[in-house]
Amino acid sequence: MSRAAAFQFRAGTSFFHRLDPLTRLVWVLGVSLLAFGAYIAWVQILITLGVLFTGLILARLSPIEILRGTWLFGLACISFWIIQTLSLPGHHVAFHVLGHPIYVESADYALASALRIYTIVLASLIFVRTTDPRELAIALVTQMRIPYRIAYAFFIALRIIPTIEDEIKTIRAAQAVRGVARKRSIAGRLGESSRFAMPLLVGSLRRASMMVMSMEARAFGAYPQRTFVDAPRMRASGIAVCLVMLFLLVGWYCALGLGYVHTVYVFTSETR
Amino acid sequence: MPGANVLKEGPEASGDAVLVDIRTVSYTYEGERDPVLRNVSLRVGKGEFVLILGPSGCGKSTLLQLLNGTIPHTLKGTLTGEAFVCGRAVADTKVAVFATEVGMVFQDPDAQIVNTRVRDEVCFGLENLCRPAAEILERQREALAFVGLEGFGERSVFDLSGGQKQRVSIAAVLAAQPRLLVLDEPTANLDPAGMAEIFAVLERLNREAGTTIVMVEHRVDELAHLVSRVVMMDRGAVVFDGAPRAAFSRRRSAQAEELHDMPVSAWFPQASEFALALSDACGTVLNTGETPLDAAEAIAFGASRIGHARVPVAVPAVEAAPAGKPLLRVKDLSFGYDRRRPILQDINFELGEAGIVALCGRNGSGKTTLARLLMRINPPPRNAIWLGEKDVTTLEPREIASEIGYVFQNPDHQFVTDRVWDEIAYGLRVRGYADEAVKTSVSEMLHIVDLERYRDRSPFSLSLGERRRLSVATMLVLEPRLLVLDEPTIGQDHERAQQLMRLMVRLRERYGTIVLMITHDVRLVAEWAARVIVVSGGRLLFDGLPHAMFADPALLDEAGLLAPPVFSISSALAAGHPGGAVQPTLSVDALVAAIVRSREALR
Repeated sequence: MSRAAAFQFRAGTSFFHRLDPLTRLVWVLGVSLLAFGAYIAWVQILITLGVLFTGLILARLSPIEILRGTWLFGLACISFWIIQTLSLPGHHVAFHVLGHPIYVESADYALASALRIYTIVLASLIFVRTTDPRELAIALVTQMRIPYRIAYAFFIALRIIPTIEDEIKTIRAAQAVRGVARKRSIAGRLGESSRFAMPLLVGSLRRASMMVMSMEARAFGAYPQRTFVDAPRMRASGIAVCLVMLFLLVGWYCALGLGYVHTVYVFTSETR
Repeated sequence: MPGANVLKEGPEASGDAVLVDIRTVSYTYEGERDPVLRNVSLRVGKGEFVLILGPSGCGKSTLLQLLNGTIPHTLKGTLTGEAFVCGRAVADTKVAVFATEVGMVFQDPDAQIVNTRVRDEVCFGLENLCRPAAEILERQREALAFVGLEGFGERSVFDLSGGQKQRVSIAAVLAAQPRLLVLDEPTANLDPAGMAEIFAVLERLNREAGTTIVMVEHRVDELAHLVSRVVMMDRGAVVFDGAPRAAFSRRRSAQAEELHDMPVSAWFPQASEFALALSDACGTVLNTGETPLDAAEAIAFGASRIGHARVPVAVPAVEAAPAGKPLLRVKDLSFGYDRRRPILQDINFELGEAGIVALCGRNGSGKTTLARLLMRINPPPRNAIWLGEKDVTTLEPREIASEIGYVFQNPDHQFVTDRVWDEIAYGLRVRGYADEAVKTSVSEMLHIVDLERYRDRSPFSLSLGERRRLSVATMLVLEPRLLVLDEPTIGQDHERAQQLMRLMVRLRERYGTIVLMITHDVRLVAEWAARVIVVSGGRLLFDGLPHAMFADPALLDEAGLLAPPVFSISSALAAGHPGGAVQPTLSVDALVAAIVRSREALR
């Protein structure tokens, strides 16, 4: 009995779970585009808070689930923020650390950059935890007209990720019992990967071959089309979410293009 | 498309009365030199329930893959001879066309289930066949109801037990209403309770729905009386084809994958094995018609031969356990990733005496988690597991590995080199042994596990039994005081499991090793274990002698275990002849000897 992977679908009844997969896909793409365009800390903080609100309230993920899925990225983002804050140039000194000047501009930009990565990871976690890969594949076929063989290939790839993750953990444990020590250096990690490669390849090929036989034996790919007994449909709530995302995106990029946000930034930094 | 493949032969092969008609088929996998199937001929009529037996590597699974066209269409190779299934020529019919005629169920439910929700998995085949949604949903409901999973449609497959997953796999093929159901060791990964669920479904399917079944299976004790015919294979050829009683009425031998002769009776039902042994001991020949196939028939067989004289029963002396500190102590161990759902709760036991200890319980009861905590593969809580006088949380993994060896379920996971010799030497080198000492130890271990001739081969090129022995050797060469074996018999026939256990006994005698064996195989427990620890729902349910465990029906029921047939047979005979020579026993030889004693006392 192993611990369930953090990036794995879990069924639920929250508002976000009840949305159709395509709406959730639009949401995660929309959030990512918003985050990409936001290079000012307070804007990025607002986006992150919005995504956190979605995860905690609308998708009913527990704080522990969110922590488990993002702590590693969180640590990486904090490191990134500190390094960038210390190394980027600026004009307005906010304070000194051990005699080293910390600039307002560099701290602001570094925080925005770090939060951008975290926000995208968090949004992806919420998307994966609430989206059944099969439903997404069906939505791609029925709503986006993607050939079902391609959509299912995508679904199978997502479906098999936790299994491979488990297999890697088992191989690592099995090899640790043999006395294989985990290496920290890049060369060591490469050597470790080469040891994993053969057992993982053998196991994955066996599983893939079994899955193919199981699917073919049940007529997968026999006809150009197939029936979907319960294809997801976009409801009013889904349309509303998509419209909100569209409004935010258009609004945000228009504001950027027209220079409003830049003006706010300059205003904020000039008042210092 | 259905109807595209025109029948080549006469009415006999029309597929109505004869569903499988294979004529002198030979098959060689692409890139291989030797054929896997050699001149195989087999005819299976409508409504038959055929059990295929044979040692690993004899071609059983290959034969099954021929029955829905996986061979030669998905797995390429050279096929000669003629094969017709449900009236269609296999060579000319694609796998998808067989989807409505032939249902295939494989060994590992996790590897064959495509979808994550039960209902989606059962609907999958019919959706591919473009059936109307209303019909699909109706058939899905019927199929789930048939396998006893009514109301499970919305469940996630990840939340099901092994037996339930395999029943979902069966429902998924039943939904297409196939005439022929083909199963390749469907209970290999299941606990005895899960196995009983599957066999009950198959019996109903064959008896009530008239579905023809062809099945490869090693666990014959609960199956032999259900099947109508037995086919035995050896080195790619059919060596016996007939009724179950004829199949199990005399001893035969076959060649194992490692090229040595092995007794076919190794996978006989224990009821038949008992009758054969008793007939031999009494100097009579076992008639085909009286060969028992289950415990009830064996009880009647034994009762007709037992003597009624009272014989003083020698009570075996119970050896006092040698005083001394245990090697391993587990004290108030609780563990879980989520506090609300603990995997293990309040586990207490000690391991100290050399011997084989079985760790039993249902799939998902926490056995593997417990074993992994001992090795610190999973992080144990402080002060819960003591190796000698030390809390394992204070020990380095290497220190634990020097005392405890762990053989994983899949031997491939543990291989780290590309040569058998280096594989065994690896652990010694990591521990800094001198080259000369490494050479000596590796040569000795290769001899013990009978792998000397493969010393320069890649570990991955060995057969499953050989890979299993190699993985055991990589641990034993380090002379651990405790060896943990995780499901050592999965995917192996009974004889191979016996070979492994004989090896364990030799090693126990030589090094004084304690063997902790996680297993579902009750015959293995009965024959080899000196002690059993049973885990149920994460709690320790029983810790004692196998005999005591098998004598407690409530305990067996709760732990999802079954008593081996010999125990049921001997218990019933003992109850029928109180004060007689026969006592409940776990050994066929002991039961036969007791019956012979009871007869001799009459003379």
